[in-house]
Amino acid sequence: MTWVVWRQHRNQAYLAAAALAAFAIVLLITGTQMASQYQSALASCTVSHRCSNLANTLTLGSPAVTLLVTLTVVVPCLLGVFWGGPLVAREFETGTTQFAWVQSTTRGRWLTVKVGWALLAAAAWGGAVSVLVTWWSGPENALQHQIFQPSQFDIQGIVPIGYAVFAVALGIATGALLRRTLPAMAITVGVFTLLRLVVGQDFRSHYMTALTRTFSFVHAPPLPAGAWVVAGGMVGPGGQTFSSQTGSGAHLNIEGVPVNPANLPAACRALVFQGPQKLFPCMNARGYHGFITYQPVGRYWVFQGIETGIFVLMAAALLAVTAIVVLRRDA
Amino acid sequence: MMASSDPAVIQTRGLSKHYRNVTALSDATVTVPEGRISALIGPNGAGKTTLLRLLAGLARPTGGEVAVLSSRPAQDPAFLADIGFLAQEIPLYRRFTAEDHIGIGAHLNPRWDAGSVRKRLESLGIPLDQKVGTLSGGQRAQLALALTLAKRPRLLLLDEPVAALDPLARRQFLAHLAEAVADGGLTVVLSSHLVADLERTCDHLILLAASRVQLCGDIDTLLAEHQILVGPVKDTTAIERDHTLVHAVRTARQATLMIRRNGPVIDPAFQAADVSLEELVLGYMGQQTTTPAHAHLSMIGEDQ
Repeated sequence: MTWVVWRQHRNQAYLAAAALAAFAIVLLITGTQMASQYQSALASCTVSHRCSNLANTLTLGSPAVTLLVTLTVVVPCLLGVFWGGPLVAREFETGTTQFAWVQSTTRGRWLTVKVGWALLAAAAWGGAVSVLVTWWSGPENALQHQIFQPSQFDIQGIVPIGYAVFAVALGIATGALLRRTLPAMAITVGVFTLLRLVVGQDFRSHYMTALTRTFSFVHAPPLPAGAWVVAGGMVGPGGQTFSSQTGSGAHLNIEGVPVNPANLPAACRALVFQGPQKLFPCMNARGYHGFITYQPVGRYWVFQGIETGIFVLMAAALLAVTAIVVLRRDA
Repeated sequence: MMASSDPAVIQTRGLSKHYRNVTALSDATVTVPEGRISALIGPNGAGKTTLLRLLAGLARPTGGEVAVLSSRPAQDPAFLADIGFLAQEIPLYRRFTAEDHIGIGAHLNPRWDAGSVRKRLESLGIPLDQKVGTLSGGQRAQLALALTLAKRPRLLLLDEPVAALDPLARRQFLAHLAEAVADGGLTVVLSSHLVADLERTCDHLILLAASRVQLCGDIDTLLAEHQILVGPVKDTTAIERDHTLVHAVRTARQATLMIRRNGPVIDPAFQAADVSLEELVLGYMGQQTTTPAHAHLSMIGEDQ
């Protein structure tokens, strides 16, 4: 059966391998350049003791390659659409299930081997792209500390593997349910995009209870490096919180914390436009503090693991549906 | 009818298949002994495809029992190895060559006769290295048939196998099939809505109409059991009482009756004649036109 799967999909495999090779060459060349650029900049700023400002002065890489790397966010979706969607749907559509299912190989084995190789290929391909992107982004990560940003988080580490496996499973399952290739592909795009957005925007920040830090406006410490600030705001003298989500209207940015001017003590409100040197002592004197809730950078791999797990579990559920549909329904 | 000295390769009892509100096959009881070439005949939508798919295990029955080669059609490699099934649509991978299909068969079947396919295609002048999608319909059908035979099945289920072939190819193919059966160990069921296609080759008949089995048995026996009576248009209740009336055509001057005999016909007013297979089939199909509701439902059913 493996031979059959290879014979059926080897052209897709060659195409994918060629695309990956081209991508690898681009990233290896530009990544090496960026790494050495970063190292030399680091060496020179260490001499002049001005490394704290390096993130603002150093720009790494070309915009075109950065865009290419950013676009790898669609790789799992493409795999789901072009590998997952047609995998069983096309066989139903062209009637070749009626050829395959009357050979001396059971449907169960037919499905297991096909799906197994598709998932393995998706994991390998998604993983390979992610390894390249993660390595390529190393200097940028060290410079900007923004690995929790969705634009970084979603294309680095192990989550792309989970996304790819899920997307392919989604394509296979919709294909098995609908038995039509094009609708299966379309639904795969829609459902995958929707789930990625929902999980990323609504669930991800809740994987672990966020830490809270309260600070005085006068002696505001720097934000924890690389942390993902989930929320922030102001604590009043009575302990009442004005988080960035509450209140409406325009927000002031005070030490990285958005604050609605309406929530400022009346005595200080007039000082808003006179600069922090006057505003902060005023607020401090009236018992106002700032706070942030955040996920520390040390949790990065835990978050990566949890998100990957969520998508792998969803993939498993879809594969169970696929197995039931393919094995129980008539050919 | 069920009792037979030959071991039955196919034995169904009360087999039925419903799709939501549509009945594709109803209460089908069929026996096919080993070594026969059985003609599965019926009008379009009679349930021929459904019966073949149930026998091959591609569809599950909604009721009744089915035994094929002494076991229930199942997802079991040993069962599948014994069955050769060719769907009416001639499903092949259009972007693959004949040689690719031979390779697939070799990897999926325990006793695969790749040589027989190559030999057959070469004798028919069908290229092995050309994409199947570029072959003619007849060539594709020949390839699919050769691939189905290469499995060396014990039971061959062919759905309208000759529909895509020209008359000469039909004759050659059926002769080829008869040879394979003569070699022993093979039983064949092949469907068609045209009697003439199969008359020469088949020795067994399953007649389906309106989702029901009308006749099943040895063709010679069935022909001997039936008779056509031509006589005056008079009261035929005596004949209908003693025999089973299959079909009657009454004009102003004469009545033509097809009966299934229970003993000899001794009414001197009627002239008795033997029936041909075609007359037999048409007689039973004609009977069904009196229940158009059923026929309509079953026509929808076959598309499922």
